[in-house]
Amino acid sequence: MLRVEHLTKIYPNGTVALKDVSFEVPDGEFLVVIGLSGSGKSTLLRCINRLIEPTEGKIYWNDVDITAASPAQLRQIRRQIGMIFQQFNLVRRSKVITNVLAGRLGYVNPWLSLLGIWPAEERRRALAALERVGIADKAYERADALSGGQQQRVGIARALMQEPRLILADEPVASLDPVLAHSILQYLEELNKEGVTVICSLHFLDLVHRYATRVIALKQGVKVFEGKPQEIDRQRFKEIYGEEAQEVRAASL
Amino acid sequence: MQAMPALQRITRSALLIALVIVVLGFSWRATGIDLPRLLRDLPKGATLVRAFLTPDLFTREVETSVIGVDFPVPCGSAPQGVPPTNGPRLLPSVGCAAPGETFTLMGKEFPASSEILVRWLLPDGRTLNAVRVRTDAQGAFTATLQARPILTTQDGKSARLEAEIQRPVGGLKPSQALRDVAREMFVTIFMALLSTTIATLIAAPLSFLAASNITRRGCLGSGVYYLSRSFFNIIRAYDPLVMATIFAFWLGYGPFAGVLALTVVTIASLGKLFSEVVENIDPGPLEALQACGANRLQTVRYAVVPQIVPDFISFIIYHWDINVRISTIIGYVGGGGIGFYLSQRINGFEYNQAGTALWAIVIVVWLMDFLSAEVRKRVV
Ligand SMILES: Nc1ncnc2c1ncn2[C@@H]1O[C@H](COP(=O)(O)OP(=O)(O)O)[C@@H](O)[C@H]1O
Ligand SMILES: [Mg+2]
Repeated sequence: MLRVEHLTKIYPNGTVALKDVSFEVPDGEFLVVIGLSGSGKSTLLRCINRLIEPTEGKIYWNDVDITAASPAQLRQIRRQIGMIFQQFNLVRRSKVITNVLAGRLGYVNPWLSLLGIWPAEERRRALAALERVGIADKAYERADALSGGQQQRVGIARALMQEPRLILADEPVASLDPVLAHSILQYLEELNKEGVTVICSLHFLDLVHRYATRVIALKQGVKVFEGKPQEIDRQRFKEIYGEEAQEVRAASL
Repeated sequence: MQAMPALQRITRSALLIALVIVVLGFSWRATGIDLPRLLRDLPKGATLVRAFLTPDLFTREVETSVIGVDFPVPCGSAPQGVPPTNGPRLLPSVGCAAPGETFTLMGKEFPASSEILVRWLLPDGRTLNAVRVRTDAQGAFTATLQARPILTTQDGKSARLEAEIQRPVGGLKPSQALRDVAREMFVTIFMALLSTTIATLIAAPLSFLAASNITRRGCLGSGVYYLSRSFFNIIRAYDPLVMATIFAFWLGYGPFAGVLALTVVTIASLGKLFSEVVENIDPGPLEALQACGANRLQTVRYAVVPQIVPDFISFIIYHWDINVRISTIIGYVGGGGIGFYLSQRINGFEYNQAGTALWAIVIVVWLMDFLSAEVRKRVV
């Protein structure tokens, strides 16, 4: 169970990216965050694992206050939270398997990992994760030799290594074409069915309707909607995205 | 109203041009430029160029043999020598002579087209060079000699005319100069290698402190960042040669001061370059590994290092290349290695040997340049 209470983020330059946002995510949910670009989706997701320090408010993960965690505690919490990025965030020059193994850094002996020594068990785990996303044959290629869709699968495999209880996905398919989008989101859906909570920001409404169990919408850092995906009709959509966005978005409704 | 700005612009340009001319004039005078001298001293330059084009590279081992004929002065003071009838031989036109008399000396069956030194062996055992001749294609020569009073027979022992024949034996061998140059060149290359290596070991960790994306967090971080950055910038202001002079003042001229100076300069230069590489990495992977629960060192090891290693290697090789050049110059002012060898040869008027050194420098610098470009192409 994740609980966000009165979360506010003001960047040093004065931008108010989030304003008093509160919501709860019960275990096993697939929560989708929607909103225009610049509405604060990325900021929200990064506040949850404190890649960005919240200015005000509290975030509880299973009743542990993430916002008050010490650096060591924070690493303990982070290793249970997988994160998937729009730009995949792989080390492009490293091998695929090294990228995947890195997902396990929070668990293994730090000194051995600094020497690049990985237990055979972890290597097996990494290969199994790659197997699961269907690219085990690419394990020893350089990450930048893979296509965008394949790179995002490596990103998912890296998150799998964490044996996550929660997955934060920041527009995981925005850099991919629509066909690939489904194949990536299906992996998240599968994980979700196995009990992993997913919080995912998305751009396309058809994807929202297809995958979300619940939706929240942000507009200029304020939560303007929370409910079932079916409740987002044209009217709601117009409220969230504003008049000018209507034409562009109508096709994906 | 429209004309004023145009007029002002023209005036301003004219003033600016005048100023530039005045400044250039002063620089001309301050430099002591002397174009006529450039032409007048052309022969001096030509000597150097000629020496440079004929470097001392190989020697042939030679066997020296001496042939001679007794030549009494005055006649009758001692028995006359009898030249052999074949083989290399000296044939004076007269068998003996009075002091002051001139005569003709013929030589036969010497090595063709070679230099022959003809000398007198005096009765007291000393030698007196008489003439240096060149044999013709048949190995013959003629020369005019004078029987000097110093040749006068003493205690029944006459003077003797001698010629030295040098006959090459065996193949070509690297000359002494070539061997010295090779050794000093290695010293220079290793000076550069040593200073680059030490500098890398120090600059690599320091560069992380001077990278804003790694260090600049909080008060302490900012302090460290500005401190290390200023350290690099201040040292970079000093030319390697100036630095070498400073170290030489402290430690005396020699390879040690040279290597230290080079090391310090390279630390600053590589540190700055490295920190820029670190600052320009893709922050995405860092963020991703932090999100996995990796600690700071693990993040550096898995997200930063793989991104920077190729650039680091390329800069290290580039600097090794530069340092070979710089250590040549530092050597010239007393830092050892090929530069020092070169300065000694030039000061000793041994221009052919200096030419060997200059060729070695050109070849090594070119080779390093080529190799470093190749390696850099590979790693990036
Ligand atoms: N590091 C930052 N410094 C200052 N402003 C930022 C920073 N990151 C994001 N912002 C601003 O915060 C707002 C929310 O951004 P973001 O969370 O990236 O929105 P979204 O992911 O929905 O596009 C935007 O106005 C953006 O310009
Ligand atoms: Mg975003």
